[in-house]
Amino acid sequence: MVLSVTEKSYLHESLASVPPARPDGRKADQFRPIEVFTDFLPASNGSSKVVASDGTECLVSVKCKVVDHAVEEDLVVVDVDIAGHRDDSGFVQGIASTLSKVLSTQLDRSCLRLTKKYSFKLYIDVLVLSSFSHPLTLISFAVYSALNSTQLPKLISSDDDLDVAELPTFHDYDFVKLNVSVPLLFTLAICGKNVLVDPASNESDVANNGILVTWNNGKATAPIRTLGLNEDYVSGVSPQSLQDSIKMIEQVAPEVLQALGGI
Amino acid sequence: MSRLEIYSPEGLRVDGRRWNELRRLECSINTHANASDGSSYLEQGNNKVITLVTGPQEPKLRSQMNVTKATISVALNITRFSKIERSKSSHKNERRVLEMQTALVRTFEKNVMLHLYPRTQIEIQIHVLQQDGGLMSSLINGITLALIDAGIAMYDYISGVSIGLYDTTPLLDLNSVEENAMSSVTLGVVGKSEKLSLLLVEDKIPLDRMESVLAIGIAGSHRIRELMDKELRKHGERRLANMST
Amino acid sequence: MSSRSSLLTHSQQTASMPADVISVRKVQEGFQFVNSLASEGESDVEMSDDEKVEKSAEANDGAIVTPGELVTDDPIWMRGHGTYFLENKTYASVAGTVSRVNRLLSVVPLRGRYAPETGDHIIGRIAEVGNRRWKVDIGAKQHAVLMLGSVNLPGGVLRRKSESDELQMRNFLKEGDLLNAEVQSLFQDGSASLHTRSLKYGKLRNGVFLQVPSPLIVRSKNHTHNLPGNVTVILGVNGFIWLRKTSELDTANNSSAVVGKNAATLSGASGEFKPGNNSVSITRLEEESSWEIYSDKNDHISDVMRKTITRYSNVIKALAHCEIGITEARVVAAYEASMAYSQIGSLIDKENMEAIGQDVINAERMRGNA
Repeated sequence: MVLSVTEKSYLHESLASVPPARPDGRKADQFRPIEVFTDFLPASNGSSKVVASDGTECLVSVKCKVVDHAVEEDLVVVDVDIAGHRDDSGFVQGIASTLSKVLSTQLDRSCLRLTKKYSFKLYIDVLVLSSFSHPLTLISFAVYSALNSTQLPKLISSDDDLDVAELPTFHDYDFVKLNVSVPLLFTLAICGKNVLVDPASNESDVANNGILVTWNNGKATAPIRTLGLNEDYVSGVSPQSLQDSIKMIEQVAPEVLQALGGI
Repeated sequence: MSRLEIYSPEGLRVDGRRWNELRRLECSINTHANASDGSSYLEQGNNKVITLVTGPQEPKLRSQMNVTKATISVALNITRFSKIERSKSSHKNERRVLEMQTALVRTFEKNVMLHLYPRTQIEIQIHVLQQDGGLMSSLINGITLALIDAGIAMYDYISGVSIGLYDTTPLLDLNSVEENAMSSVTLGVVGKSEKLSLLLVEDKIPLDRMESVLAIGIAGSHRIRELMDKELRKHGERRLANMST
Repeated sequence: MSSRSSLLTHSQQTASMPADVISVRKVQEGFQFVNSLASEGESDVEMSDDEKVEKSAEANDGAIVTPGELVTDDPIWMRGHGTYFLENKTYASVAGTVSRVNRLLSVVPLRGRYAPETGDHIIGRIAEVGNRRWKVDIGAKQHAVLMLGSVNLPGGVLRRKSESDELQMRNFLKEGDLLNAEVQSLFQDGSASLHTRSLKYGKLRNGVFLQVPSPLIVRSKNHTHNLPGNVTVILGVNGFIWLRKTSELDTANNSSAVVGKNAATLSGASGEFKPGNNSVSITRLEEESSWEIYSDKNDHISDVMRKTITRYSNVIKALAHCEIGITEARVVAAYEASMAYSQIGSLIDKENMEAIGQDVINAERMRGNA
């Protein structure tokens, strides 16, 4: 949606004032309320659906397959589909490459290890049904919830199979919960000197810049980079804003994790 | 592995149904109020389908505009994870998917009162989260619900069901195991009538059996229509109760 | 890989985590159908042999009908929207409630896009600048048309539109601009033609936009309301809402009678023009229709004012969330109820929105006008 000039200047002034006045009254470090649904796809090992209050909705399925990890390098495959955007558009590909880079490098491979020869390979499929604001935070919440509700088949054969030419065998119906630390990706908007978490679509339209901060294992990690949220207001990012962003994520991430994880 | 018994001498199917039983059907409407004008979520057996309708609205491209009536478009997204085995392709632009889209547009073009909405476009977006046979019929039911939720005028419900022919016995509402084992027919039935807006026969069916296949299919579709109607009324009453407070 | 969770069970475990930073509602092993827990629809569907007796009785006023349902077989009724006629019988074409007004029988859909009617006070957003006209998105099935001749242009109300005006249409209104207007007439295909030929209409500034479902706005005489806290709200019939700092003009126009008088002076039809206390003088009029009415600059708006506007915006969203019809009285009541929450940001949580909605309804009940 295109905003009018006066709407934009009203928004920008509000967001850049100290303290920032967000259009829905949120504090700078407050997220929009979300709803999380998990375990609704019995044909997948893990599934989740996250809905934000503005109707942005994201669905994630996790499926697994047994592979020889000597042959297959990548144990995590991420596919992103955003309704209304072509798969080969820069927007979708940017999100897909960020996600798959973060997940394939930061998920602990040893959690997927079955035997000396074989590992589970995870296929993480992301479907964004509707997006009004930049969907990366929401996708990351959905991936987090899906992976944390993922159940993998239980191995009953020996885990030492170097000399045996047999595929691992599994229990008929018992499952083991996947226990892995999942990185979260946070988007922040920078307006003047202010840093705002989880920018809504109208906030993104007037932000001076966007920042992506990754959070894993209790600390902010790479990648931390800028995101273009709009074309009109873009300006450089000061080192101070970058530090503020990381500081803010350090404050809120534990609370977010607790809210997401405390089932 | 022993061969699965598709239809036992006692008259039971792989999932324990009788020949004339439908799968569990549950649906709800107005599930994505912020993202669309009309929406539905439908579970028919293990099929799980989300349908979003936007419009009638100004066409995105001038070329899509028809001065006498609305144009309908269907975008079918069969997700990679919809089957037990994850598929390698994204199914987009597959010939089968394109054919299904065209068939769906044809099915609804005659039923929706398109002449009431000239110069507009109605976009239907379907996401298949999980499939287990009889997909086409679930798509029809999902679209019917979402169109009604959007308040778009139509002559009647269209309810879909698939019927297979096992030897000489027609089996109602096939799951994927049954679908792979026999030839099948998909019907789209208009309301409580015996009129068909869609008849899809993709394999050989003996002509002398067609009548019994159609008979059970139409009866099954009527039952599905009743179930959808019940949900719609329930939803309507809830909304009315809400508004009058 | 076998199916792990039984599909037939819809056991819901809902956990709500109230938190300052983020509120998360969790639902496990389920997706929808929260309400079907108690229902019987948990098994395969039996084919019912007992065909329901076809109701030949007519659907009553206010009853819910669904597409294809017989509404009446009495041919005396005129068929309105949401119905169709086949072999002397009238059927419903949408899901909604039956309405009988005089001889006219129609079905009012439960949901649907805004359908413009002549005289509606609406808010729209410019979608396209065309040849001597603007296309305006008003949330209807089609864009509305605003002709160059239907707006007030700088340099006097009554002047003719020239070619130079045509060339600089973007200087008046461009893509994305918001305006309020009145539906002047409807075209054959149901799309609207707008006009802004009154001082209460025109480009909008000094505020924020929000949108609610259009059925929640009830058509009334006046859609511009000055609210406590120096904020003015325009409740567009199409569900588009504008909240702004109250302007001088708003204070002058605070009764619809005055607006009527202005309109009369504007058209020049009435010779009884009296420069009264409340009305705007001819010279003022000319001033107002200078370039300023198309300005893209906001006035200075204080932080307190911004906060008030945000609070109003959140309580209107809360009313919409609860599907409560939005009126001036209710907006004010909800605003007062919201004062219990010092943090404006806490008003976006579902529970708080519902609590405010409940407060408004209860207050009306107490006064006995619910």
